[in-house]
Amino acid sequence: MEHGIDNSLLIHRALSMAGASGTEVSPEGAEVAKLVRLALGGDATAFEQIIARYERRVMTVAIRLLGTRDDAQDAAQEVFYRAFKYLHRLDPQKPVEPWLIRMTVNACRDIGRKRQKWRSTFPETTAPEAVATDRSGDPHAGLAGEQERQMVWKALDSLPEKERMAIVLRDIEGFSTSEVAAILRSSETTVRSQISRGRLRMKELIDQMMGGLL
Amino acid sequence: MKCAFSNELLALYVEGDLPAADAELTATHLMGCEQCRQFLDQLRERQSLLKSLRQETINPSSFAGMRREVLSRICDAQQTFGWAVKIERVLMLGFRRRGYAFAGLAIAAILSVSLLAQMRHALPEPHPSGAVFEDRDTLLRPEGYRQWVFVGASIGRESFHNVYINRPAYREYAKTGTFPEGTVMVREMASSEMKKEPGLDGVYEKEFIALEASVKDSSRFDGGWGFFNFTDSDGKMKATAQALPDGTGCRSCHEERAETDHVFTQFYPVLRTARAEL
Repeated sequence: MEHGIDNSLLIHRALSMAGASGTEVSPEGAEVAKLVRLALGGDATAFEQIIARYERRVMTVAIRLLGTRDDAQDAAQEVFYRAFKYLHRLDPQKPVEPWLIRMTVNACRDIGRKRQKWRSTFPETTAPEAVATDRSGDPHAGLAGEQERQMVWKALDSLPEKERMAIVLRDIEGFSTSEVAAILRSSETTVRSQISRGRLRMKELIDQMMGGLL
Repeated sequence: MKCAFSNELLALYVEGDLPAADAELTATHLMGCEQCRQFLDQLRERQSLLKSLRQETINPSSFAGMRREVLSRICDAQQTFGWAVKIERVLMLGFRRRGYAFAGLAIAAILSVSLLAQMRHALPEPHPSGAVFEDRDTLLRPEGYRQWVFVGASIGRESFHNVYINRPAYREYAKTGTFPEGTVMVREMASSEMKKEPGLDGVYEKEFIALEASVKDSSRFDGGWGFFNFTDSDGKMKATAQALPDGTGCRSCHEERAETDHVFTQFYPVLRTARAEL
């Protein structure tokens, strides 16, 4: 284990995202734990409630990692299917969200690699479509905002897989570096280095693109 | 001349990701270096551009479609989970401690494959609902219901009514005599027409004309059941339907006249027989 990082401890911290940690279980954590118990006992509506609770987070992470809504939907389906299949592996004392986010990252990796293969076979394929999202009320909406958004997505899509994942989880999803390390099953030092390289590369790419616009 | 201070440190400093000692070192350097301060400002701008992606939200229709796919996939696949998953689940739920569970898994696998057959009955049988809600009281039109259990048909004034129940709910009803949470009943209506072929009598189902559903979900509906009509006033099928309000014909009629928990079991021989066998 690199630099003595204990992933299980880090995950434990990350788990507080779902409102439960260790011996102190929040009302929300207790409610989720109850839903997990019911789902394990065969209660389908309980599992549906688990999906309803975490689908936004899972889809958001997936869409940011993969860049397209269709791919993200496939990833989210796979995540919840695996979650149902392996629900018994979840420690009832621990919250569900970090476990789901780790599965999301893995599912996105699988889908992303297939997409890479496809792209190398069909090189004329264009860059990933813009994320189809509802931006009503967004002060950055408008032509300039849209151009900037496209630039950021393009730069993000150009990053190597590990840097892209670290940047998405840290800078867009807002996880701390220790939480990102736990989710990616890596050390904090490695994650910091990925984040640092990713940010510098993003800056360089956006600078180049902005130069091209001027 | 370009400053040789590490850009990598600045890229972490900008979001407070450096350990305390490195952060202090960087802060001290920044106080005396205009070039690095400018670089840090540019990094900040780029970071704020990146963070603007946080404001994007996803259209809720993506969730509904995804949820429906997941539930349908689970429903199809639960019987085909591999034996390793089934045994692991029983052991994990039994022992709750991973070490014991994996040891038990290894022993079980070595000892006997026949264990699986015995354990099948001990496995919890998840029964995903056929109902997928878009929000609290808006139901997505059920799909695949013609592959559910057909409980019976009746002839209305001018139409046929074919009634189905989702399989997990039927199994539970056949086992206990009560309709479990997540029960979905679908009534598909077809127009009727006299047979014209020589020598043939009676009427037949001509075209599907309407679709209705009822769902048992006590967490959503007073009285435990919600009733839905997926047919527009102009006869077109709707993708979603809101629960019919209290006081409409459906609810009070089902409440007062249905024999078993809002279900007209008196009209469905399949359900009557299942209960008689208890």
